Amino acid sequence: MSRTCFHCGEAIPRGVELGARVNGTTQPVCCIGCQAAAEWIATLGLGDYYRLRNMPAERAVEAADYSAWDRPQLQRLYVHNSADGSAEVCVLVEGLRCAACSWLIDRALRDLSGVRAVEVNPGARRVRIVWTRDDITLSAILHRLAQLGYVPHPCNAQALDALDQREARTALKRLVVAGLGMMQAMMYAVTLYAGAFEGIDPSTRDFFRWIGLLVTTPVVVYAAQPFFAGAWRELRARSLGMDTTIALAIALIYLASLYETVTGGAEVYFDSASMFVFLLLGGRYLEMRARRRAADVVDALARLQPALALRRRTDGALETVGVHELEAGDVVVVAEGAAMPADGTLLGKACEVDESLLTGESTPRTRRRGEALIAGSVVRSGPVEMRVAHVGADTVLSSIVRLIERAQSERPHAAVLGDRIAARFVGGVLALTALTAAAWFYVDPSRTFAASLAVLVVACPCAFALSVPVTYLRAASALARIGVLMPKSDALEKLARVDRVVFDKTGTLTRDRLELVGVEVAAGRSINECLRIAAALEFGSTHPFAAAIREAVSTERSIPEAESLRTVAGAGIEGRIAGQRYRIGRADFALALSAGTTDDDNVVVLADERGSLAHLRVRETLREEAAAAIAALREQGLEVAMLSGDSDARARGIAVRLDITDFRARATPEAKLHALERWRQGGSVVAMVGDGINDAPVLAGADIAIALGGGTQLAQSSADLVLASDRLDAIPAARLLALTTLRVLRQNLYWAVAYNFAGIPLAAFGLVPPWLAAIGMSASSLFVVLNSLRIAPPSCSAERVQASAPPLAGAVPA
Amino acid sequence: MNIILVLIPLSLILLAAGIWAFFWGVNHAQFDDLDTPALIPLADDPPAVAARREGDVPP
Repeated sequence: MSRTCFHCGEAIPRGVELGARVNGTTQPVCCIGCQAAAEWIATLGLGDYYRLRNMPAERAVEAADYSAWDRPQLQRLYVHNSADGSAEVCVLVEGLRCAACSWLIDRALRDLSGVRAVEVNPGARRVRIVWTRDDITLSAILHRLAQLGYVPHPCNAQALDALDQREARTALKRLVVAGLGMMQAMMYAVTLYAGAFEGIDPSTRDFFRWIGLLVTTPVVVYAAQPFFAGAWRELRARSLGMDTTIALAIALIYLASLYETVTGGAEVYFDSASMFVFLLLGGRYLEMRARRRAADVVDALARLQPALALRRRTDGALETVGVHELEAGDVVVVAEGAAMPADGTLLGKACEVDESLLTGESTPRTRRRGEALIAGSVVRSGPVEMRVAHVGADTVLSSIVRLIERAQSERPHAAVLGDRIAARFVGGVLALTALTAAAWFYVDPSRTFAASLAVLVVACPCAFALSVPVTYLRAASALARIGVLMPKSDALEKLARVDRVVFDKTGTLTRDRLELVGVEVAAGRSINECLRIAAALEFGSTHPFAAAIREAVSTERSIPEAESLRTVAGAGIEGRIAGQRYRIGRADFALALSAGTTDDDNVVVLADERGSLAHLRVRETLREEAAAAIAALREQGLEVAMLSGDSDARARGIAVRLDITDFRARATPEAKLHALERWRQGGSVVAMVGDGINDAPVLAGADIAIALGGGTQLAQSSADLVLASDRLDAIPAARLLALTTLRVLRQNLYWAVAYNFAGIPLAAFGLVPPWLAAIGMSASSLFVVLNSLRIAPPSCSAERVQASAPPLAGAVPA
Repeated sequence: MNIILVLIPLSLILLAAGIWAFFWGVNHAQFDDLDTPALIPLADDPPAVAARREGDVPP
């Protein structure tokens, strides 16, 4: 019995056991494409389409119906709308394999009117499209993409997984078939070479040739398929790419050998053909692994967002719904250990949430009733009830993912240039091959074939086209591993040239909290007693000073209960403990109960009616890694400076502690911009580091802007680099990485150009046999890929600094 | 030399069997994750097993 596909109506090939869940039943489908399409339509609640339609859909792989992409339900999940009428989407594209593919897609989509920008990243297989909503529908764009033979997928983690797995398995199979085939073909080739020297009777020779043909055929027909498919695609689009030369070379070698075998001619090249295929597949396999590693970070973030949510209906009952069905205003319940399905506000009592994957902060944060919860953060104490505020593409998580995706799909200037040169180069190579063939035909017809084949193989600009994308991809993934995101792809080049790093003070070098550094007590009082009284008075206060006191008083010390607490804004707190009146706060306020005064910003006075009990000295808490980060930057030969809007005394205090001599206090944003301007006019390349509450314009004025991940979205959107880990020591590490990346990139480009220019003349003069050309070409591609793998995150500097940082509360003398 | 007429087809059959076995392995997820299985022996034993082993050791 032959079964037909539920989605497209075609017969299902034998051995295919795929099912799509539609309206609760599993339906047989013929391919992954149809499965995805059917399940997709079903999850949107459009399963009725299958009952109502009067003819089967197109096979999804050929040209699926993309009109579903224009539905608001779907667009809300994957499309980001801008205020100026443009929209942005990121799609995952099947069959996107090389720089030539991305060039083709770029060209084809840009021709559509209404498409504003197309950015293709062959490494991550993602295409970012910006279009004007009024001029063209998303479905029309995607239809064009499908017509080219690239199947677009919504960019979500599930589609990615299925695709990844299938691609990895097929690639491995092809590689092994090519490898085993190559080994066998080589053995038979050795026999034939030996026979050519020692003598071999024609029947044995023909036997080995036929056996060689037998093992090489699967290599060419099965393992080399990606090259033929790629060449076909390039031909259909009338653009020349690398696959054209590769496929032409494979086909030429194979068909010539086949002809020689059948007619009993002089020479067969089955070993060359299979080795060529194997080495090329090996290079592509390595590249695939490298780019999968790079895509891992984005996947981890995308997977954070759960697919289902528990929604409370108006009658109070709970129902399970898909996350994409949630709307602002819904009330959802999140169990302990589960991730938030959307951004929202907390309805119940206080709870603890872990936002580590978003902010890098590993300690759970306490959220109180009415405070914001972020999609993707994990509930540590629950269950939690929350009111949904933002869903889908509007969540904070989505904006972070979009930031990373933009970093991955925005192709650096160098890559664009590289592609253009490669495409022109291929045309030249084909012309040169024809010329070589013609020349040898007149000089020595017997060598025509070998020489022109060698030119074709040697000149394949694979290494050249690979070098830029592989290097940048590797750098982006290494940066992501030390917690640095690169929203602008030219950031690396700029970072490598930086010679002055300017820090904002508050929120960047310091944390927005205070720490207690010293307690001076009046005669006859103990520090413990004074701290307990202070803690009792500050018990309910939200002032940073109160937090510093609470941190200093360990939990064992019992805190007495204070009565009739009264807060005087900007001055301090008054309260009664065991019948005694106390005041804590600014000196003039605290000592008003008695007499005397001191004036120091950083001292808080605790006093009773008779006079001062204790002076509590506080200071701003430095980021624990700040000093090490600045020392590391100095070691790299960079100037370090600080700009602060704070008072001179505070700025000086921080500058002394961090050993910064070049600082400016009481600087308005205009003054900061002016300072940056002066440095830049003096010839410096300036990096500005800020958290961005009011730094966004200042960041924009620097050569390279670095925003902290804990900062505002505004700052992050204008930044070249975002420190997602929220750690300053990522800056020196990132700079080292940038220097390595540029060095490796230069090596790769020099290597590729030198190889091609040295190889082509040799091949044209018939000095390079085809098998040597195949080794050389694959070796140059492998060299580029392996050289790029050298770009690795510096060895765990983050952990080292963390381990040596003193514990925060330890600074308090007790 | 006629032996090669037997041995070479035999090697081809073995080759085909090898490729078939490899394809079976790939399709059954044997090659999907090459990193994690190597770490499994290094992970701590589950509590139940660990407890029994401690009991075996004389005090």
